[in-house]
Amino acid sequence: MSNAPLGRVVATERRPNTPHEFHFWTALDSPVGIGTIVRVDGSNPVNGQIPIVYGIVIEGFSYTDLQSPMHDVMGHDGSPENAGFAVTERAEIRLYSAAVLRQLPDEPLQPVPMGEVHLAEEEDVAVALRMDGYLKEGARTGIPIGVYHAGATDSTIYLDADFLLGPEAAHLNISGMSGLATKTSAIEWLLASVFAHFPEDKGSIAAVCFNVKGPDLCFLDQPGRLEDRDVELYEKMGVPAKPFERIQYFAPYTAKGFQLNTLRSNEALLDNVTPLTWGLREVLRYAEVLLNRDDIDAKADALIDFINERVLDRVFEKDGILSRDHAVQSFADLEDWFKDLLRGLEARNNESWRTHHIATIRKVRNRLSNISTRCAGLVTDTGAVSDLPFGSFEDRMVYVVDVATLEEDAQDLIFARIVSKLREHLERRDLGVKNLIVFVDELNKYASSDGPDTYVRKMLLDIAERGRYLGLVLFSAQQFRSQVHRRVVGNSGTSLFGRMDADELATPGYSVLSAATRTKLATLEKGQLMVRHPHFTQPIFVRFPRPAVMQGRDGAEQYPQSVETGLDVSIYRALRPLDNSITLPWVQKLVALYDENDLLRARDATIRARPGNVKGYFESQFRKIVPTETAIAAATASREETHAVRTLPIDDPYGF
Amino acid sequence: MGHRAGVTSTDSDRGDNELSWPTSIHAARRFIMRAVPDSSPIDLAGDEAQPRARADEPPVLNAPNVIEGRKLKAIRVAPSRGAKLESQFAGFLDGVQDVRIVNHSHGIPIVWATVSAAIRVRHNRKLTAWEKRAPAVSRRYYLPLRYLDDINPALRDDPRVVDTAETDASGKFPSRHPAALLDCAIQKVQRDREDLEQTLAEAWCIEESEPLYVDGSIAASAITAESPITIGVVKSHRTLYADGDAFRVVVGLESGERSSVFRVSSQRRHAVASWYVRLRGASGRDALFGLVRVEAAESVDLTARADEISRWIIAEGAPLALPDGRWDKMTYGIRDTEEFLRAIS
Repeated sequence: MSNAPLGRVVATERRPNTPHEFHFWTALDSPVGIGTIVRVDGSNPVNGQIPIVYGIVIEGFSYTDLQSPMHDVMGHDGSPENAGFAVTERAEIRLYSAAVLRQLPDEPLQPVPMGEVHLAEEEDVAVALRMDGYLKEGARTGIPIGVYHAGATDSTIYLDADFLLGPEAAHLNISGMSGLATKTSAIEWLLASVFAHFPEDKGSIAAVCFNVKGPDLCFLDQPGRLEDRDVELYEKMGVPAKPFERIQYFAPYTAKGFQLNTLRSNEALLDNVTPLTWGLREVLRYAEVLLNRDDIDAKADALIDFINERVLDRVFEKDGILSRDHAVQSFADLEDWFKDLLRGLEARNNESWRTHHIATIRKVRNRLSNISTRCAGLVTDTGAVSDLPFGSFEDRMVYVVDVATLEEDAQDLIFARIVSKLREHLERRDLGVKNLIVFVDELNKYASSDGPDTYVRKMLLDIAERGRYLGLVLFSAQQFRSQVHRRVVGNSGTSLFGRMDADELATPGYSVLSAATRTKLATLEKGQLMVRHPHFTQPIFVRFPRPAVMQGRDGAEQYPQSVETGLDVSIYRALRPLDNSITLPWVQKLVALYDENDLLRARDATIRARPGNVKGYFESQFRKIVPTETAIAAATASREETHAVRTLPIDDPYGF
Repeated sequence: MGHRAGVTSTDSDRGDNELSWPTSIHAARRFIMRAVPDSSPIDLAGDEAQPRARADEPPVLNAPNVIEGRKLKAIRVAPSRGAKLESQFAGFLDGVQDVRIVNHSHGIPIVWATVSAAIRVRHNRKLTAWEKRAPAVSRRYYLPLRYLDDINPALRDDPRVVDTAETDASGKFPSRHPAALLDCAIQKVQRDREDLEQTLAEAWCIEESEPLYVDGSIAASAITAESPITIGVVKSHRTLYADGDAFRVVVGLESGERSSVFRVSSQRRHAVASWYVRLRGASGRDALFGLVRVEAAESVDLTARADEISRWIIAEGAPLALPDGRWDKMTYGIRDTEEFLRAIS
């Protein structure tokens, strides 16, 4: 503990001290500011113990003995220039108000006594913030969030894993102005910190991050630029200053299906990018996400349920209306089923089938068939599925789902299905990891306080309110906390705040903060955060290092997005990371022979299987034909329109 | 008293808790009720308990004994306004007194007073307490022992009790009239305050080599009256050295002007060089607005010295000593010292 006091507690009748707030003055050059943590040493024992009070500065005042500004004007003959020549400076005070963080002993809780004020040192900070309770050897659950700095004190601030990731409390929410590299950077840093410090005895942990805008999360496995100060912070907090080594990206294809619809489409980075494609089975359950309230009336809902339970993934035998048996496994199969059904109804002039009116059937057909068009690239007509590895998630692995460039419908569908699947697996304890962090940015959009009650918002509310019991933890971010549903932010045990907009700070949610604290929030530098955590009775300001990963903007410059190319080049790029002996001419030779849909199907199958013999596996997806050199040349010459010289239907064994 | 760190007590406390020396008006009232059982307390909220002003001398007009030239005249030492002057004063000495009637005993006022003095030194334009001598604070009862019958013998013999009913130079006891006894007490208090100030001023002359701004006269002590580094600045003009033609000169001084130097001497005081300086323009004000009388040791370079010191004093005019009512004559350093003394005493 430091010996030299930097201030003294003062109290007057007009401004008395209370058990929760006190006032002190300091020398003019003392290193005290808003957010500084101080220690007050009482002088009179209470129950035989000298009271010690820890507080954090929440307001500061400065004034002189001048009673009226007019006196200063008169004193300098109305000339500011003359003021600099005054032989004496007026007596001046630095008076601070501090909110009590902790009193020792806890009882009796008394007004803060007069006493000396000291700058809190590292041990003081741990006690003041009650971190001593979870930094004990053998029961350490601290997760570094940043460094508190004041004077010569650099003190690591820890969050309690039990209150950040459950089960006591959970979830984290971060607010801040856009464009200041705070929200995303803080989450990237915090994930690294969690992976480095999450206690072994609490089991495995992984993260699923939804990249919802730009290239923010697209280069987490690439090293970023760090300054010496950042490296020092990493060392101090015991977190490796390196990018995420275990990471997997997922992105749907573009509408044409040739290329992945992600800003991480550079050929050099494709080795850990997996296509995200779903078929009818995966989507139908979440049709509600894509269909609005007008679409899903009770009748339509009943028909969708019927299809889900009685038609999908089973043989639906012909009846008086249907002309043949149907095995519906894809959107194409479903379309055939609808066609057959409607044709039968029209032929017999029937208006209903199994209580479903023909108008309802037409409507549901229209809406469902539309899905594969609206979510082209994600939803396939064929039913090909490439998905997250539900059931085999790995410890300390980051799974990034890039939905940044997708339409809103597709984004909603992806979010709803992935989170639902995660939840299901966590309930069954078979996800592969015990704890999972889900990071969602732009919560203003997905869980707006005044927007429609969407499926996605319901899911976010559900995670926020019940996720911690499952090990499903929501890390969320947004620019305007006041515009996010209050049950989402209210259930976040930990809240982080970067630099805030003044208008946002004027909303009622920030009225608990002092004016000085709000002003500080409005002027925070990059890399600074205000932290609220269940153990901290007052918000704490910390500095965190810039993440050790490549920032999205840098990555986009260094690894530019691949331009949409022809079918041959896109297949070459997709297979090349699996086998670097694959050449473009080899791909072009196959492209010349086969149909586009078959080629894409073969590509997807190969990527899913990741076989040892990539070439052999890819070729085995086609029917064997022996082309003549002339035919190949002719086909290659006419390939500009990417049509095969001759298509061999897979279900035609003879090919004639 | 004496619990405050860094404050020199001129008296010592008793060890007896029952009769420990009071440090506040309330304590003083309680204390005296034990020591003088038949005394009755004054209502502290009433007018009678309010601080008593210093005793005023009768206004006197004296002829100046001019030692700079033949007759008193006005000499400009600085521009009337907007002057950017420097000051060499390194310290400011002042004392304060707080005189209260706390009890009555059969009509006899029992006076409790706190006197204190301090020097504030200036470093980098900021004022702090002089480290070499702590501020001095004294708290005493001023009692007309002759007229108090029922008084605790221990208190009667206590050196911190000042007898205000001693005989004067002519051997006469003061009247039993309460107002006369109060005047006697106030004069004793003033003398105690001046003693504290004088002690500190003399210490400065021994310890330091830079000029000291003394609020009031320096003529009471031979050491300060003869020291080249103590400058007395008198704000009150009950005695005005401006009889005859000099009167028009003195009241007609303009801002930034001084009078010729004259000698001030008396039987009880040591001779010093003195002159008037007008710190602020008196247009539209009374004749003595912004007028101070300076005292300094006589020297061979009297004119140059008086000019220099006058400029220092004018330079001390900013910042203003407002809201003090004497702001036109008081410098900020003296106001700061008074505020400091009020805080510690």
